[in-house]
Amino acid sequence: MKRAQQWACAVLCSLAAGMAQARTPVFELEIRDHLFIPEDIVIPANTKVKLVVINHDVTPEEFESYELNREKVILGGSKANIFIGPLAPGIYPFFGEFNPRTAQGRVVVE
Amino acid sequence: MLSGNSRGGLMLVVFAALPAAAVADGSVVDKVYHPYVEQLEWELEWRAVQEQNSPASAAQRQATHRVGLGRAVSEFVFAEAYLVGREGSDSGFTIDAWELEALWQLSEQGEFLLDYGLLFELEKYRHEEIWEYSTTLLLERELGRFSATANLGVIYEWGDDIEDEFETAAALQARYRHSPLLEPALELYLGEDTRALGPMLLGMARLGSRQALRWEAGVVWGLDATTADYTLRAVLEYEF
Repeated sequence: MKRAQQWACAVLCSLAAGMAQARTPVFELEIRDHLFIPEDIVIPANTKVKLVVINHDVTPEEFESYELNREKVILGGSKANIFIGPLAPGIYPFFGEFNPRTAQGRVVVE
Repeated sequence: MLSGNSRGGLMLVVFAALPAAAVADGSVVDKVYHPYVEQLEWELEWRAVQEQNSPASAAQRQATHRVGLGRAVSEFVFAEAYLVGREGSDSGFTIDAWELEALWQLSEQGEFLLDYGLLFELEKYRHEEIWEYSTTLLLERELGRFSATANLGVIYEWGDDIEDEFETAAALQARYRHSPLLEPALELYLGEDTRALGPMLLGMARLGSRQALRWEAGVVWGLDATTADYTLRAVLEYEF
Protein backbone atom coordinates (compact mmCIF):
# COMPACT_ATOMS: atom_id res chain seq x y z
CA MET A 1 0.00 0.00 0.00
CA LYS A 2 2.80 2.37 0.94
CA ARG A 3 4.64 1.57 -2.32
CA ALA A 4 1.43 2.21 -4.30
CA GLN A 5 1.11 5.61 -2.61
CA GLN A 6 4.72 6.43 -3.53
CA TRP A 7 4.14 5.53 -7.18
CA ALA A 8 0.90 7.55 -7.22
CA CYS A 9 2.77 10.53 -5.77
CA ALA A 10 5.52 10.19 -8.38
CA VAL A 11 3.00 10.04 -11.22
CA LEU A 12 1.06 13.06 -9.90
CA CYS A 13 4.28 15.05 -9.45
CA SER A 14 5.34 14.20 -13.00
CA LEU A 15 1.95 15.24 -14.37
CA ALA A 16 2.14 18.50 -12.43
CA ALA A 17 5.65 19.13 -13.78
CA GLY A 18 4.41 18.42 -17.31
CA MET A 19 1.51 20.83 -16.93
CA ALA A 20 3.82 23.52 -15.54
CA GLN A 21 6.15 22.99 -18.50
CA ALA A 22 3.24 23.33 -20.93
CA ARG A 23 2.59 26.84 -19.56
CA THR A 24 6.22 27.93 -19.82
CA PRO A 25 6.57 30.76 -22.39
CA VAL A 26 8.89 29.86 -25.25
CA PHE A 27 11.38 32.26 -26.89
CA GLU A 28 13.56 31.51 -29.90
CA LEU A 29 17.19 32.47 -30.24
CA GLU A 30 19.15 31.77 -33.41
CA ILE A 31 22.87 31.42 -34.04
CA ARG A 32 23.98 32.48 -37.53
CA ASP A 33 27.52 33.31 -38.64
CA HIS A 34 28.65 33.16 -34.98
CA LEU A 35 26.11 35.78 -33.91
CA PHE A 36 23.14 35.47 -31.57
CA ILE A 37 19.94 36.71 -33.27
CA PRO A 38 18.32 38.67 -31.77
CA GLU A 39 21.03 40.11 -29.54
CA ASP A 40 18.44 41.22 -26.99
CA ILE A 41 15.67 38.93 -25.83
CA VAL A 42 12.97 40.57 -23.73
CA ILE A 43 11.25 38.23 -21.26
CA PRO A 44 8.74 38.86 -18.47
CA ALA A 45 9.94 39.29 -14.89
CA ASN A 46 9.37 36.58 -12.29
CA THR A 47 8.47 34.03 -14.95
CA LYS A 48 10.30 30.90 -15.98
CA VAL A 49 10.82 30.79 -19.75
CA LYS A 50 12.20 28.28 -22.23
CA LEU A 51 14.79 29.50 -24.72
CA VAL A 52 14.95 27.37 -27.84
CA VAL A 53 18.40 28.02 -29.27
CA ILE A 54 18.78 27.02 -32.92
CA ASN A 55 22.32 26.82 -34.26
CA HIS A 56 22.28 27.33 -38.06
CA ASP A 57 26.08 27.29 -38.27
CA VAL A 58 27.93 24.07 -39.02
CA THR A 59 30.20 24.55 -35.99
CA PRO A 60 29.16 24.13 -32.36
CA GLU A 61 28.51 27.05 -30.07
CA GLU A 62 28.07 27.32 -26.32
CA PHE A 63 25.48 29.55 -24.69
CA GLU A 64 27.17 30.75 -21.51
CA SER A 65 26.14 33.20 -18.82
CA TYR A 66 27.35 33.39 -15.24
CA GLU A 67 24.54 35.85 -14.49
CA LEU A 68 21.96 33.33 -15.71
CA ASN A 69 23.89 30.37 -14.25
CA ARG A 70 23.69 28.49 -17.55
CA GLU A 71 26.17 26.73 -19.85
CA LYS A 72 24.88 24.74 -22.79
CA VAL A 73 26.60 23.51 -25.94
CA ILE A 74 24.54 23.54 -29.14
CA LEU A 75 26.06 21.42 -31.89
CA GLY A 76 26.16 22.73 -35.44
CA GLY A 77 22.83 22.34 -37.23
CA SER A 78 20.94 21.45 -34.07
CA LYS A 79 18.91 23.09 -31.32
CA ALA A 80 18.78 23.01 -27.54
CA ASN A 81 16.36 24.03 -24.81
CA ILE A 82 17.56 26.32 -22.02
CA PHE A 83 15.27 27.08 -19.08
CA ILE A 84 15.88 30.38 -17.30
CA GLY A 85 14.16 32.27 -14.54
CA PRO A 86 12.10 33.30 -12.73
CA LEU A 87 14.28 36.44 -12.78
CA ALA A 88 14.08 39.89 -11.25
CA PRO A 89 13.96 42.84 -13.70
CA GLY A 90 17.39 43.61 -15.09
CA ILE A 91 19.87 42.82 -17.84
CA TYR A 92 21.60 39.45 -17.94
CA PRO A 93 24.42 39.16 -20.51
CA PHE A 94 25.33 35.93 -22.28
CA PHE A 95 27.96 34.98 -24.85
CA GLY A 96 29.09 32.15 -27.08
CA GLU A 97 32.17 30.53 -25.63
CA PHE A 98 33.38 29.27 -29.02
CA ASN A 99 33.17 32.79 -30.55
CA PRO A 100 33.12 35.20 -27.60
CA ARG A 101 34.11 38.27 -29.64
CA THR A 102 31.12 38.09 -31.96
CA ALA A 103 28.51 35.93 -30.25
CA GLN A 104 27.13 38.17 -27.52
CA GLY A 105 23.65 38.95 -26.32
CA ARG A 106 21.50 40.00 -23.41
CA VAL A 107 18.37 38.75 -21.72
CA VAL A 108 16.35 41.83 -20.80
CA VAL A 109 13.89 41.10 -18.03
CA GLU A 110 11.02 43.59 -17.74
CA MET B 1 17.25 11.94 -20.78
CA LEU B 2 14.44 10.41 -18.76
CA SER B 3 10.78 11.25 -18.99
CA GLY B 4 9.10 12.62 -15.89
CA ASN B 5 7.52 9.28 -14.97
CA SER B 6 10.77 7.33 -15.40
CA ARG B 7 12.59 9.88 -13.27
CA GLY B 8 9.99 9.64 -10.51
CA GLY B 9 10.26 5.86 -10.49
CA LEU B 10 14.04 5.99 -10.43
CA MET B 11 14.00 8.36 -7.46
CA LEU B 12 11.65 6.06 -5.57
CA VAL B 13 13.98 3.10 -6.16
CA VAL B 14 16.98 5.06 -4.86
CA PHE B 15 15.15 6.42 -1.83
CA ALA B 16 13.62 3.01 -1.06
CA ALA B 17 17.13 1.55 -0.94
CA LEU B 18 18.49 4.19 1.46
CA PRO B 19 16.86 3.10 4.75
CA ALA B 20 17.79 -0.54 4.13
CA ALA B 21 21.49 0.22 4.04
CA ALA B 22 23.88 0.96 6.85
CA VAL B 23 25.56 4.33 6.85
CA ALA B 24 29.03 4.57 5.23
CA ASP B 25 32.04 3.89 7.43
CA GLY B 26 35.34 5.68 6.96
CA SER B 27 35.38 9.30 5.86
CA VAL B 28 32.88 10.31 3.21
CA VAL B 29 34.32 13.81 2.82
CA ASP B 30 34.99 14.33 -0.88
CA LYS B 31 33.90 16.48 -3.79
CA VAL B 32 30.24 17.51 -4.03
CA TYR B 33 28.99 16.69 -7.53
CA HIS B 34 26.57 18.81 -9.54
CA PRO B 35 24.04 17.12 -11.87
CA TYR B 36 25.26 18.74 -15.10
CA VAL B 37 27.24 17.68 -18.15
CA GLU B 38 28.88 20.06 -20.58
CA GLN B 39 28.91 18.49 -24.02
CA LEU B 40 32.30 18.18 -25.82
CA GLU B 41 34.19 18.92 -22.59
CA TRP B 42 37.43 17.24 -21.52
CA GLU B 43 38.67 17.52 -17.95
CA LEU B 44 41.95 16.89 -16.19
CA GLU B 45 41.41 16.76 -12.43
CA TRP B 46 43.42 16.54 -9.24
CA ARG B 47 41.74 16.40 -5.91
CA ALA B 48 42.95 15.70 -2.40
CA VAL B 49 41.40 15.05 0.98
CA GLN B 50 43.55 15.11 4.11
CA GLU B 51 42.17 13.95 7.45
CA GLN B 52 43.80 15.02 10.69
CA ASN B 53 43.50 12.75 13.75
CA SER B 54 41.05 10.33 12.20
CA PRO B 55 39.73 7.72 14.67
CA ALA B 56 38.84 5.42 11.73
CA SER B 57 42.44 5.08 10.53
CA ALA B 58 44.14 5.70 13.90
CA ALA B 59 46.65 7.82 11.97
CA GLN B 60 47.53 11.36 12.88
CA ARG B 61 47.31 12.33 9.23
CA GLN B 62 45.92 10.51 6.22
CA ALA B 63 45.66 11.91 2.72
CA THR B 64 43.95 10.62 -0.43
CA HIS B 65 44.85 12.03 -3.85
CA ARG B 66 42.97 11.43 -7.08
CA VAL B 67 44.18 12.27 -10.58
CA GLY B 68 41.57 11.83 -13.27
CA LEU B 69 40.92 12.35 -16.95
CA GLY B 70 37.35 12.66 -18.15
CA ARG B 71 35.27 13.67 -21.11
CA ALA B 72 31.65 14.17 -22.01
CA VAL B 73 30.71 11.16 -24.10
CA SER B 74 27.29 12.55 -25.01
CA GLU B 75 25.06 15.52 -24.27
CA PHE B 76 24.09 14.04 -20.92
CA VAL B 77 26.85 11.60 -19.89
CA PHE B 78 30.34 12.40 -18.57
CA ALA B 79 32.86 9.61 -17.93
CA GLU B 80 36.10 9.84 -15.96
CA ALA B 81 38.91 7.49 -14.89
CA TYR B 82 41.11 8.06 -11.83
CA LEU B 83 44.23 6.79 -10.21
CA VAL B 84 43.96 6.95 -6.42
CA GLY B 85 46.99 7.43 -4.18
CA ARG B 86 47.12 7.42 -0.40
CA GLU B 87 49.67 8.43 2.20
CA GLY B 88 49.65 8.73 5.96
CA SER B 89 51.75 10.00 8.83
CA ASP B 90 53.14 6.47 9.23
CA SER B 91 53.11 5.35 5.56
CA GLY B 92 54.53 6.65 2.30
CA PHE B 93 52.62 7.61 -0.80
CA THR B 94 51.41 4.71 -2.96
CA ILE B 95 48.99 4.47 -5.83
CA ASP B 96 46.71 1.83 -4.45
CA ALA B 97 43.46 1.97 -6.42
CA TRP B 98 41.78 2.91 -9.68
CA GLU B 99 38.31 4.30 -10.11
CA LEU B 100 35.82 4.71 -12.94
CA GLU B 101 32.85 7.02 -12.79
CA ALA B 102 29.98 8.12 -15.00
CA LEU B 103 27.72 11.10 -14.40
CA TRP B 104 24.31 11.03 -16.05
CA GLN B 105 22.38 14.31 -16.28
CA LEU B 106 18.68 13.47 -16.04
CA SER B 107 17.01 16.86 -16.51
CA GLU B 108 17.72 20.18 -18.14
CA GLN B 109 18.96 22.77 -15.68
CA GLY B 110 16.01 24.76 -14.32
CA GLU B 111 13.38 22.65 -16.10
CA PHE B 112 11.84 21.22 -12.93
CA LEU B 113 11.70 22.14 -9.26
CA LEU B 114 14.96 20.21 -8.80
CA ASP B 115 17.72 19.34 -11.26
CA TYR B 116 18.48 15.61 -11.26
CA GLY B 117 21.48 13.46 -12.04
CA LEU B 118 22.99 10.10 -11.17
CA LEU B 119 26.62 9.29 -10.44
CA PHE B 120 27.97 5.73 -10.80
CA GLU B 121 31.41 4.94 -9.32
CA LEU B 122 33.48 1.75 -9.28
CA GLU B 123 36.75 1.53 -7.31
CA LYS B 124 39.19 -1.39 -7.09
CA TYR B 125 42.19 -1.56 -4.79
CA ARG B 126 45.33 -2.70 -6.62
CA HIS B 127 46.96 -4.87 -3.95
CA GLU B 128 43.89 -6.01 -2.05
CA GLU B 129 40.74 -7.80 -3.11
CA ILE B 130 38.48 -4.86 -2.31
CA TRP B 131 35.81 -3.51 -4.63
CA GLU B 132 33.51 -0.58 -4.03
CA TYR B 133 30.54 0.42 -6.15
CA SER B 134 28.23 3.35 -5.50
CA THR B 135 25.19 4.97 -7.03
CA THR B 136 24.58 8.55 -5.97
CA LEU B 137 21.52 10.66 -6.63
CA LEU B 138 22.51 14.26 -7.43
CA LEU B 139 19.99 17.01 -6.74
CA GLU B 140 20.35 20.75 -7.19
CA ARG B 141 18.07 23.72 -6.72
CA GLU B 142 18.83 27.31 -7.73
CA LEU B 143 17.47 30.03 -5.43
CA GLY B 144 18.50 33.38 -6.88
CA ARG B 145 22.27 33.65 -6.41
CA PHE B 146 22.24 30.65 -4.06
CA SER B 147 22.51 27.04 -5.20
CA ALA B 148 21.75 24.08 -2.93
CA THR B 149 23.15 20.67 -3.88
CA ALA B 150 22.59 17.22 -2.36
CA ASN B 151 24.50 14.00 -3.09
CA LEU B 152 22.72 10.92 -1.67
CA GLY B 153 24.68 7.74 -2.20
CA VAL B 154 24.25 4.01 -1.72
CA ILE B 155 27.58 2.13 -1.57
CA TYR B 156 28.33 -1.59 -1.78
CA GLU B 157 31.72 -2.93 -0.72
CA TRP B 158 32.80 -6.49 -1.38
CA GLY B 159 35.83 -8.73 -1.79
CA ASP B 160 38.04 -11.22 0.08
CA ASP B 161 39.75 -8.47 2.06
CA ILE B 162 36.67 -6.61 3.24
CA GLU B 163 33.37 -7.44 4.83
CA ASP B 164 30.62 -7.27 2.23
CA GLU B 165 28.18 -4.54 3.17
CA PHE B 166 25.86 -1.80 1.99
CA GLU B 167 26.42 1.73 3.23
CA THR B 168 24.99 5.17 2.62
CA ALA B 169 26.57 8.61 2.42
CA ALA B 170 25.22 12.12 2.08
CA ALA B 171 26.85 15.41 1.18
CA LEU B 172 25.06 18.75 1.16
CA GLN B 173 26.38 22.02 -0.19
CA ALA B 174 24.94 25.54 -0.04
CA ARG B 175 26.80 27.88 -2.43
CA TYR B 176 26.56 31.62 -3.03
CA ARG B 177 27.41 32.63 -6.60
CA HIS B 178 29.22 35.83 -5.72
CA SER B 179 31.45 35.92 -8.82
CA PRO B 180 33.08 33.39 -11.16
CA LEU B 181 36.36 33.70 -9.27
CA LEU B 182 34.94 33.38 -5.79
CA GLU B 183 31.95 31.45 -4.53
CA PRO B 184 31.73 30.81 -0.78
CA ALA B 185 29.97 27.62 0.26
CA LEU B 186 29.06 25.57 3.32
CA GLU B 187 29.27 21.77 3.19
CA LEU B 188 27.87 19.04 5.44
CA TYR B 189 28.95 15.38 5.18
CA LEU B 190 27.15 12.45 6.81
CA GLY B 191 28.25 8.80 7.01
CA GLU B 192 28.63 6.09 9.64
CA ASP B 193 31.95 7.52 10.83
CA THR B 194 31.49 11.01 9.49
CA ARG B 195 29.64 14.02 10.78
CA ALA B 196 31.49 17.01 9.37
CA LEU B 197 30.65 20.60 8.57
CA GLY B 198 32.71 23.45 7.23
CA PRO B 199 33.27 26.31 4.78
CA MET B 200 34.57 26.02 1.22
CA LEU B 201 35.71 28.49 -1.39
CA LEU B 202 35.08 27.68 -5.04
CA GLY B 203 35.99 29.51 -8.20
CA MET B 204 36.70 29.43 -11.89
CA ALA B 205 39.20 31.33 -14.03
CA ARG B 206 38.77 31.38 -17.79
CA LEU B 207 42.04 30.70 -19.60
CA GLY B 208 40.81 31.21 -23.16
CA SER B 209 38.26 29.86 -25.57
CA ARG B 210 36.94 26.60 -24.16
CA GLN B 211 39.58 26.50 -21.45
CA ALA B 212 39.01 27.09 -17.76
CA LEU B 213 40.54 26.27 -14.41
CA ARG B 214 38.12 25.43 -11.62
CA TRP B 215 39.21 25.16 -8.02
CA GLU B 216 37.76 24.28 -4.63
CA ALA B 217 39.41 24.49 -1.22
CA GLY B 218 38.22 24.36 2.34
CA VAL B 219 38.08 22.57 5.64
CA VAL B 220 35.36 20.65 7.44
CA TRP B 221 35.44 19.97 11.16
CA GLY B 222 34.33 16.76 12.80
CA LEU B 223 31.09 17.09 14.76
CA ASP B 224 31.49 13.89 16.78
CA ALA B 225 34.15 11.59 18.23
CA THR B 226 34.18 9.20 15.26
CA THR B 227 35.05 11.90 12.71
CA ALA B 228 38.53 13.30 12.04
CA ASP B 229 39.21 16.49 13.99
CA TYR B 230 39.35 18.36 10.71
CA THR B 231 39.60 17.45 7.04
CA LEU B 232 41.19 19.59 4.35
CA ARG B 233 39.74 19.29 0.86
CA ALA B 234 41.02 20.71 -2.44
CA VAL B 235 40.18 20.29 -6.14
CA LEU B 236 41.81 21.61 -9.31
CA GLU B 237 40.10 20.95 -12.63
CA TYR B 238 41.44 21.98 -16.01
CA GLU B 239 38.59 21.99 -18.52
CA PHE B 240 39.27 22.05 -22.24
